[in-house]
Amino acid sequence: MTEQTTDALTYEAATGRLEAIIKRLDSGEAGLRETLDLVREGRGLVEFCAAELDAVGRGLEELRLDDLVARLESGGA
Amino acid sequence: MAEQRGARPEGVAGFAFSGPYPVGSYAAVLRDELRKRARVQLFGEVFNLSSSRARVYFELRDGEGAVPCAMWRDAFDELRLPPDALGDGAQVVVAGGPDYYPGSRTSSPSFSFHVTGLRVAGDGDLLAQLDALRRRLAAEGLFEPQKRLPRPALPRCIGVITGEGGRARGDVLAGLQRRGWSGRVVWAFAPVQDRRAAPAITQALTDLASLDEVEVIVVARGGGSLADLFAFCDETLCRTVALLRVPVLSSVGHHADRTLIDDVAAVACSTPTHAAETAVPLHCAEARAALGASAVALSRHARRAVVTRARELAALSRAPGEHVARQRRALHQTLRELRASATRRVADEGAGTRRRAEALRRRAGAAAGPDAAGRRAALHSLALALAAHDPERVVERGYAVVDDRAGNVVTSAAAARAAGAVRLFFADAPVDATITEDEV
Repeated sequence: MTEQTTDALTYEAATGRLEAIIKRLDSGEAGLRETLDLVREGRGLVEFCAAELDAVGRGLEELRLDDLVARLESGGA
Repeated sequence: MAEQRGARPEGVAGFAFSGPYPVGSYAAVLRDELRKRARVQLFGEVFNLSSSRARVYFELRDGEGAVPCAMWRDAFDELRLPPDALGDGAQVVVAGGPDYYPGSRTSSPSFSFHVTGLRVAGDGDLLAQLDALRRRLAAEGLFEPQKRLPRPALPRCIGVITGEGGRARGDVLAGLQRRGWSGRVVWAFAPVQDRRAAPAITQALTDLASLDEVEVIVVARGGGSLADLFAFCDETLCRTVALLRVPVLSSVGHHADRTLIDDVAAVACSTPTHAAETAVPLHCAEARAALGASAVALSRHARRAVVTRARELAALSRAPGEHVARQRRALHQTLRELRASATRRVADEGAGTRRRAEALRRRAGAAAGPDAAGRRAALHSLALALAAHDPERVVERGYAVVDDRAGNVVTSAAAARAAGAVRLFFADAPVDATITEDEV
């Protein structure tokens, strides 16, 4: 279940859930157990989003479609 | 043909053609010959209208061919046409004939159809065909599928189709840079305005969409006339876009030009820069800052949750002690008040009692005074009478008291016989005796 959720997770879904968590925490209605669970889940989402941002922040990589197709057709990656 | 003075070069060997003639002379003859041709009326669609100080130029086109046209500026202005009447695709009828400008050593020659009269005939066939195709695609629901596709907020890989030498490429990169995005771009370079354009772009689209990593595709071209943009109205191209599983963002021509790819694409953007920014909806630096703020908020909540509850627990643990102390203080106060009250009451009562005792004492003294002597004399005589009857006194005079040794006084002979063993109490000491009696 957790793995499936992670696989399907997108940046926008993660940030949406993160916003909901912080809104819930800001409301002050969550009990201690729920608060700690939400914080744990939220930290996981922050790590996921940070990794996604890192993936598009390492420097522009430009490829030509022709080269890419040729590489794929020749069996390379 | 006018005679030319000066040296004339030899002709090309093996050709029986006349000449060689000076080119300027030939150009002038060509102009004169063309001007002799019959004046005619033509109809077609106007494209690429432009003007200079003296003349107005445009192309007259239809599906089979085209002719460049020129008209004197004065004659054109006299038509008093609305400003946008001769936009691309406007259908017109022109009157005139072929003309040739022979040029010179310093200016280029040009052929044109010299227009002396012009009438706007109605919407152009090409635009009418375009509208018909647009309505057909809309009726088939092909404008919708792309718009329903989810677009990632943060794609890792973007495919871009554009002309290799055009400015659109730089504009796309500028848009991505403005977003702070530096992921992977796959460039698919294709011709973007001639007959090869539509098939090449269609092929690039399917190739890019077949790559799993490509999450969004931008099709970008700078401005141009609507005729130049017809490649992006190609039916096969538009149907391909409509059915792709990857969202396509179009940025073709300027804002005023509406090509069919704009209708079928997920989003039609005004410029290639805008398309790049649409491909990456998120501003990466801002997202990073927001993420940092979220992390801080989470930590704050976690700390506050624990600290606040610890304080509450500490307060709760102190509460019973504080309650007892409060009760104790209240009890002590009550006790002090009770004592003070009791002391006051005792003092008050004591004083009252003392007053009453004094009064009683005075009253008793007053009452007892006259009878006291008489009562004392009576009492003395009673004491004497009592002493006369004291058994001790009788025993001292020689009598004895008899009991059955169990403390019961024996007062008759029968009782003495019945007891058998008796004790005789004399004045100085008791003596045990046994009753023995001979039968009489």
